[in-house]
Parts: sequence; structure tokens; C-alpha cells
Amino acid sequence: MTVATSPAGLDNRVVVAGVARSWRDLPVPALPSPGVVLAAGAADALAVARRHAVDGTELLLAAPTRVDATMRDELRAAGFAVTVLTAGVPQTVPPAVSRAPEAGRLWLLTSGSTGRPKRVGHSLDSLTTVRSAQPERTWLCPYAPGSYAWWQVVTLSLTQPGQHLVVVDPDELDDWPAIAAAHGVDAVSGTPTFWRRTLHRDPQALARVPLRQLTLGGEPVDQAVLDRLRELFPAARISWIYASSEVGASIVVHDGRAGFPVGWLDRVTPGRPTLSLRDDELVITSPHHGVGLDGPVRTGDRAQVVDDRVVITGRLDSDEINVGGSKVSAGLVRAVLTAHPGVAWARVTGRRAPVLGRMVVAEVVPTTAPGDAGAPPDEGALVRWCADRLPEYAVPRRIRLLTEIPVKETLKSDV
Amino acid sequence: MNELSRAQIRDLMAQVVRNQGRVLPDDDSTDLREIGFRSLDFSELALRVEDATGEELNFDAPGLRRIATVGDVLDFLAELQRQ
Repeated sequence: MTVATSPAGLDNRVVVAGVARSWRDLPVPALPSPGVVLAAGAADALAVARRHAVDGTELLLAAPTRVDATMRDELRAAGFAVTVLTAGVPQTVPPAVSRAPEAGRLWLLTSGSTGRPKRVGHSLDSLTTVRSAQPERTWLCPYAPGSYAWWQVVTLSLTQPGQHLVVVDPDELDDWPAIAAAHGVDAVSGTPTFWRRTLHRDPQALARVPLRQLTLGGEPVDQAVLDRLRELFPAARISWIYASSEVGASIVVHDGRAGFPVGWLDRVTPGRPTLSLRDDELVITSPHHGVGLDGPVRTGDRAQVVDDRVVITGRLDSDEINVGGSKVSAGLVRAVLTAHPGVAWARVTGRRAPVLGRMVVAEVVPTTAPGDAGAPPDEGALVRWCADRLPEYAVPRRIRLLTEIPVKETLKSDV
Repeated sequence: MNELSRAQIRDLMAQVVRNQGRVLPDDDSTDLREIGFRSLDFSELALRVEDATGEELNFDAPGLRRIATVGDVLDFLAELQRQ
């Protein structure tokens, strides 16, 4: 395992709570190893990351809300001290069992979308997936501390000269375009829900951010959100990434289209992930995998070939809806709904129904952007829009209109 | 229990049909095939009744019958609410 002692990005600019400094200027908190650090604030989280980069302490970093009391006890039983770090002040509960630290080991928690979060072993090296020289960028990091996506942006800035970082705390998220514009952010990575919320709330403010790189990941990416971002940023590079704690960053698509080319399936290239489909499930063999996850990993994500693309539609256990014996992909129905010009966000689910067993139903947030033509679509208009594009059994019949796009701490909305 | 009247169920049925770009005829003896009202529409209507009353309909109850006309649908759902 490689332990970075002098990361190449230490002189990159880091902006926290409106204050610009460099990684080198961040405080280096004294923390136990092996240690779990629960940091809600962006400044604390970055200081912990810097500490790990410098001396390779065994570390699991997470937002406090990600680790409940039961999990804290489990981690202490596994030899971790548990520290809550608030504004630079640590409060530490010692481990229940003493053990030697594993130098350079970074632990991540899985998103927990299929149950309790699991611990996956990585290192700064295995989390660093961008190694070639990059054009100078100032990145916005909106992710919760310690998530895979957060580490992706943080390792990029720590290891690559010229990759600056502007972090926002959760209470600043709704105003991120103003913060980003004020600090020269020209690259942003966020979930599709993060982007849809921004497009929904204030597209004009978003358009004022001089973005050259937009990245989407963490949820299924549909064509509609890519197209709307392209309208605002016609010259920018718009990329979507498939990444997880288990298999790392495994798919990167820059052509502005949803899904990845069918030709990428089962292509074996040394040093790069191999992508396969088994029974509609995406299976990945990745060099960026977590500890013990070498070889093919069943991702639990459903993927379908649509024309010349492989489209990831959602979680295997929730994407498929059986309507009277006919199988419906919630993700594909969602893509049809979000392609409606009056729809900002949609969630599609199955609901128990007489005669058929289940029916397709949806929740939709209409667009409210100034300049939108006419009134927002009503249920009937959306049903007819879907009926023109989907088989009859796949048309959502009950469509509830919401006013706000729901979002969780992970910046996802469990679509 | 917040039971819907036959007229209220008819309004919901009209909405189901309207969402498909069609019109529900006034005549209760209209054959469902004439207006293209099929099992998907029937299931949707049942969900709308459930949403309006806050009660699940019990389709396991005995007495399921042949449903051929608009009136049959309304009678059946009105009756089902009481089971």
C-alpha cells in the first residue's frame, strides 16, 4: 500500500467558509489511529484528509449522521477510537479493543442503499483515479465528507497541482452557484439530483458560474438532465461517472449522452475496468476496487441495452416493476417523464393494485423557471406524454405533483 | 369510513378516461369495450377510490362478477367499499 507523505497538491488553493488558503495552511489535528472521525463541517473534514495524506493514519471519515450509536459501538469493538470533530475540537471515545493501526488504510462506508452501510477498505492511492495531467481547474465539492464522491474530488486536489477546491457546507448548498461564482469555480461534480435541484431553483444563477467541466454521478443519469446542462453550458465538457466504494470509478462518459456505448461491454484492457451484463445486472471487474473485492463484482445496479447504449436504470431490487406479468423499468419510465419540458424531476415506483398486482405510479416536480411557456403540466398531460412513448402497461397512472425536489444528505433522492 | 358515492366514483372514472384523451359517456349502459376501458383503467380507478377514501379495497371478497358496462364498474366499486 502506498502512503503519500508529500502530496503534490499541497499548494492548491482551498476555500472553506469563504476563506481561501492552501492545503498546506490547513491545521493538522492530532487524532488517534485507527480512528473514526465524524466531521460535519467542511473545514474539519479537509483537515482530517490532509492529516491522513501526510502521515497515513488509519482512518474512517464520515458525517456524524452516517454513523449511528450502534455502528459507533461496532467500530469501537473493531479497534477504532471514535472522534467527533467540531470546529477543530476533538471529542474522542477510545476503542473497546486495542489493536495496531494499518498504515495508509482508508475506510469508506457504502451508501447503504441496500441496507446498513458496510465498511470498504481503500487507500489514498486506490481512491486516486485521475493520474494524468489535467487542465487547471477550481472544483466545487458539495458532497458529504467521507463519501466516495467526496474523496474523489479531495484526492484530485491533494494529488494534482492546479486542482483547486471550494467546499460548501450542507447549509450553503442551496446558494452554491453564488459561492462558486465568487471563487472562480469552473468545475463541479454532483449527483443528477443536485443538478436538477439547481436547475429547478435558479438556472440564471447557475448560468453565471463559468463552468468548463460538469460531472454527474451517484445516481442514474438520464438524457434530459444532460441536455438541460448542455443548453446552459454549450462549450463545457459534461461527463457522467459510475463509481462506488466497492468498484471505484469504473465508467466515465464524456460524449454528452446517457448510457455508455455497447462496444464497451466485455472489453478487456489492462489497468481498466471490465464491464459486463449478467441477467440485466451490471458486473464490474475493476482495478480501483476496495479490499477483498477483486474479480467480478455484482453491482446490484440494473442496466439495459437501448439502441447502441447500455443504460443504467436503477437498483436491481427496485427498478423492475411487474405489471400483470409485463416487466417495466422504473428508470426508463423516469427518463420519459424527465424528458417532458415541464418536468424538473421524477420518481417512478410500483404500487400494489387490484387485478394487475402492481401499477406504475410517479411523483413529479414541475419546472418553475421563469420564461417557461404556459402552466406546468397536469396529470392528464403527463399521462398522455408517456402514453405516446411507452407501452400501455408502463404508463404511470397516478402522478402526484410535488413542489420541491427531495434530496438526502448524500445529494441523492432515491429515484 | 369515508365512503364515496356512486356519483363521486363516476367523477373519478371520468378523470381516468379523460387522462387517456377520451370522454366518459353519460349512459351507464355503455359497454366498456366501446370506450376502451380495460384492466389498467379499472386498476387505476380502484387506486383513485382508495386514495380518496384512505381505505384499501378488499378484492379478495366473494362476489366478483362480470363487469361489462360503465354501470357495472360503478356498482362494483360502490359495493366493494362496504365489504
